[in-house]
Amino acid sequence: MPPIDPDPSRRPGVPGRAAALWREARRHAREALRGWLARAGPELRRAASRAAQGARALVWPPTPERWAALLALAVGGLGLQALAFQARLSARLPAPLDWRAAAALLERDARPGDAVAIDPSWAERARVALPDRVAATPEAPLPVLAFPRYAAALEDLAGLRRIWLVSLPEAPGFREAVAADLAARAESVDGPQRLGALEMTRYDLRSPVLPLAFLPGRLATARVALGGEPCPDDGTGAIRCPGGVRLSRQVRQVGDQPRNCLLVEGPIAPTAPLEVEFPAVPLGRALRGHAGPVGAPEGPFSTRIGVGLAGEPLGAVDLAPGPPWQPFQLDTTIHAGRSGDLALSLVAAEGTRPLCLEAMTLP
Amino acid sequence: MKWTAHLERLRAHLRRLGGLLPREERRRTAQVAALVVLLAAVAAVPAVGISSDEAATLAAAEREASWWGGMLRSPLRAYGHVDAAFGPDAERPPLAKAAMGILHAAGTGLGASHLFSFRLAAFLGAAVLTALLSLLGAALADGAGALLAPALFWLAPRHFQQALVGSVDLPLATLWLATVYAYRSSLDPAIDRRGRRTAALACGLLFGAALATRRGAWLLLPVLLLHWALSNFRALRRLSWRERLTVLPSAFPAMAALGPPVVLATWPWLWRQTGPRLAGLLAPQLQPLSTTLAALALTVPAATLAAMAAGVALSAARVAAALRGRAAEVSLSDELLLLCNGLLPLLLAPSRSAPGAGGAGPWLPAAPFLALLAARALAWAGRLLWPARPWAATAAVASLALAPALWSVVHAHPFESAAFSAAAGGAGGAASLGASREPGGDAAAALLPALNEHAAPGVAVWFADLAPEAVRLYRRDGRLRPDLRAADGPEAADLAVHQPAGPRDREYRTWTVFGSARAVAGAYLDELPLVLIYARPGAWR
Repeated sequence: MPPIDPDPSRRPGVPGRAAALWREARRHAREALRGWLARAGPELRRAASRAAQGARALVWPPTPERWAALLALAVGGLGLQALAFQARLSARLPAPLDWRAAAALLERDARPGDAVAIDPSWAERARVALPDRVAATPEAPLPVLAFPRYAAALEDLAGLRRIWLVSLPEAPGFREAVAADLAARAESVDGPQRLGALEMTRYDLRSPVLPLAFLPGRLATARVALGGEPCPDDGTGAIRCPGGVRLSRQVRQVGDQPRNCLLVEGPIAPTAPLEVEFPAVPLGRALRGHAGPVGAPEGPFSTRIGVGLAGEPLGAVDLAPGPPWQPFQLDTTIHAGRSGDLALSLVAAEGTRPLCLEAMTLP
Repeated sequence: MKWTAHLERLRAHLRRLGGLLPREERRRTAQVAALVVLLAAVAAVPAVGISSDEAATLAAAEREASWWGGMLRSPLRAYGHVDAAFGPDAERPPLAKAAMGILHAAGTGLGASHLFSFRLAAFLGAAVLTALLSLLGAALADGAGALLAPALFWLAPRHFQQALVGSVDLPLATLWLATVYAYRSSLDPAIDRRGRRTAALACGLLFGAALATRRGAWLLLPVLLLHWALSNFRALRRLSWRERLTVLPSAFPAMAALGPPVVLATWPWLWRQTGPRLAGLLAPQLQPLSTTLAALALTVPAATLAAMAAGVALSAARVAAALRGRAAEVSLSDELLLLCNGLLPLLLAPSRSAPGAGGAGPWLPAAPFLALLAARALAWAGRLLWPARPWAATAAVASLALAPALWSVVHAHPFESAAFSAAAGGAGGAASLGASREPGGDAAAALLPALNEHAAPGVAVWFADLAPEAVRLYRRDGRLRPDLRAADGPEAADLAVHQPAGPRDREYRTWTVFGSARAVAGAYLDELPLVLIYARPGAWR
C-alpha cells in the first residue's frame, strides 16, 4: 500500500486516479490473456485450422454455385448491416428532448468563464438548442466551441475556466479524442451525465489561461497609424487607414476554425508599417498570441509583427507559410505587475489575404 | 352499392388502362417502371430545394428559351443578342436547358409552379432512362433484369436526386445509354441492313444530342471506338490502317458527321467565333479518379456496390470464357460494350459542370451500365442458388440489397444531396471521416416555412450560400414572403441563412456583425446541420 502523502495538494486528482486504475486494469487483462493463451494455444490453433479448412471448402474448388452463394452472402450481409444501421440510427442520435435537458442543465449550472465543447465537432445543433449566455449573469457569454482537438498545444481556451463537453457517444464516427484532450487539461471532472443520447461532462481546467488583457478587445482605445499617418475610426468600430488598409475586431476563418482576432485588411508596404498602440495595458510574465491568414491555406504569405513597450522594442515575430494559426510568445517577466503602452507593428507582408491577429498579456 | 361492385368497377378501369399499355411484356414492364419513377419524382419534388448550380441552370434555361422564342419572331434581331443569352452559361451546352425552358413555358402556361415546370424535364428524362434500363435489363436477364436494373440505379439517394432537379447530368446519362443502345443495334446482325442503317443514323443524332447536353459527352466516341477495337481485336490485327477504316461500323461516320452539326445547330453561342469557342470547349477537364471513386463508394449503398462489382466480375469472366472459346452463347461484343461503358466513364469522369466530391455527375454516365450488370449478376445468382424457383431466390437476395437502399432514399429525402451510405456512417459518419458536405444551398428550402413564420415584417435576409436566382425562384413561386428583402452581406442583413459546409468565413462574419454565434433555426440530416439561420435581436419572433 503506498504511503499517505501528507500534502493534499500533491495527491493525484480524479483524472490521475482514473488513469492509474485504467493502467492497472490493462496490466491485469494482459496477464490474464497471456495465461489463457498459453493454456489454450494448441486447441486454438486446431480450431483456427478447422475454420480455415471450412472456409476453403466453401469457395474451393470455385464453382458457379459457390460464387453465387458468395455473392448472395456479400449482398445479404451488407444489406443486413445497412438495415441494422438505419434501424438503430435514430436511437443513437439525440432527440429534441435530450437537447432541452442539456440546455436546462446549462441554464442551471453554467457560470461566467464556462464554455460548451461539442463532440463530434459537426454536432452544431448545439448552436440552436443551447443557451449562448449564462442565465445567472446574462452579460457573460457561454460560447459553443467546435474544435476537432483541445490539447493545450493547439487551443489556449483563453478566458475559460470550465468546459462542458456535450458529446454524442453513439453517433457514427464518434471518437474519444476530445474527451481525452480535455481530461488531460482538467484538475477535476464532473460526469459524464447521460441525457438520452447525449452525454455531458464538466472539465474544470487545471491551469486556465486567464489573460490580463485581450488586445483585440481594446481596439476602441487603440491609437493606429500607417507609415506615421494617424488612422481614424470609421464610425462602425473599425479603423481605416489611407491606401485601403482597415483594422477591425472580427471572428474569421483561419485554417478551418473561427478565430476572434484583430483583422488587418489591405496592403501594407514594408516602408509604411501599420502601428497599433494599446494604452495602459497591464503586463505579466508573457505576451502571447496567434496569427494567420484568413481562409484556407494557399499562396504565399509572410508578415513580421514587431512588439514595443512604451517606445522600446520588446521583440519581433516572423510569420511564414506554415500552420494556419501560428502561435507566438514573448517574455515580459521583467515588466510584470506594471502597465504600459503596448505597440504592435506590422512591418511587412507578402500575399493579399487579410491577417487575423490575436494577442494577450498573461499573468 | 356494395364494395364488390366498387371493386368490379375498379377492375374495369384498370382493364381499360391496361389496354393503353403495349402487349409485349417487356415494353409493358418498361412503361410501368417509367411511370412509377415519374410518379415518385412528382410526389417527392415539392420538398426539394434549389442548389446554386441548379439555379444557374434554370436561369440560363429561361434566358435561352426566351432567345429561341425571339429567334422565331425576329431572327436577325435575335442573332444580335446571342452572346447576351448564351454567354453567361457558355460552360454548359444548351439542349437540356432548352428542354427545361420549353417545358417551363408549357407548365406555367398550364398553371404549374415555375420550379415544378422547370423540373418537368428531369421527371421525363428519368422516365425515359428507366424505360431504357428496363428494356436493356430484360434483354440481359429477362423479367428480373427488367425490374432490378431500374431499381438498383434509382435506389441511391444521390441518383434519385437527379430525377428531381434541373441538371444536365441525368440528361447526359440518358442520352449516353440511348446512344450506346443505338450503336449496339447498328452492329446487331439479327437486324436487317436497313434497320442497322437507321440505328447508325440514330446513334449519330443521339451522340450530337449528348454533345449538345454536356461537354464531357465527347468521351462516348473514344469509349465506343475502344469497344469496337477490343471486340474485333483479332480481325483488326491483320489489317492495315486503311483497311481498318474501311471496316469501321457505320455508326462512327454517323457520329462524326451528325454530332458536330447537331451541336452547332442547337447552340447559337457557337455561331460566332466558332473556331476559338469550340477549341475552348474541347479542352477536357478531368475529375481526379480517387475523388470520383471515393464519392461513389461513400454514397451508393454498399450492397448495391457489391452487386455492381459482382456484375463487372461476372462480365469479365464471360469475356474470358468467350475468348477461350468456352462460351458459345456469350456475345463478346455485348460484354465488352457493358464493361467499357460501366468502367471507362468512371476513369474519364468529366467534371467541368459537375460538382466536386459529393455530386453524382462524374459517375452518372457509368451508373446505368453498372446497374444493368448488377441486375444480371443477381438474377444469375438466383438461378444458380435455387434452379427450381429462380425468381424466389433472386427476389430474396435483391430485397436484401434494395430494402436498405429504399430506406436510405426515404430517410435522406429531401436532403438527397447530403446523403451518405450506411457504410460511411450516414451523413454524420461521413462528416467525421472528413468527407465534403454538399455546399449547394438546396437545404435552405427546408427552413423557408420557418423563415416565413418567424421573420419580423420587412426584415432583410442574407442567403449567404444560395445564388440570387434561387431566391428569385422561391419568390416567384410564393415560397418566400414578399416583404422579406434581400441583403448582400451581414452588415445589411437582419437574418442570415448559412450552410455550414465548405469555407465558413461568411458565417463567421455574421457572428461578428450579429454579435452572437447562436442560431435561431436549423435543418439537419442525422444531426448534421445542413442550414442554420442567425438573427439580429428582434428580427426573429
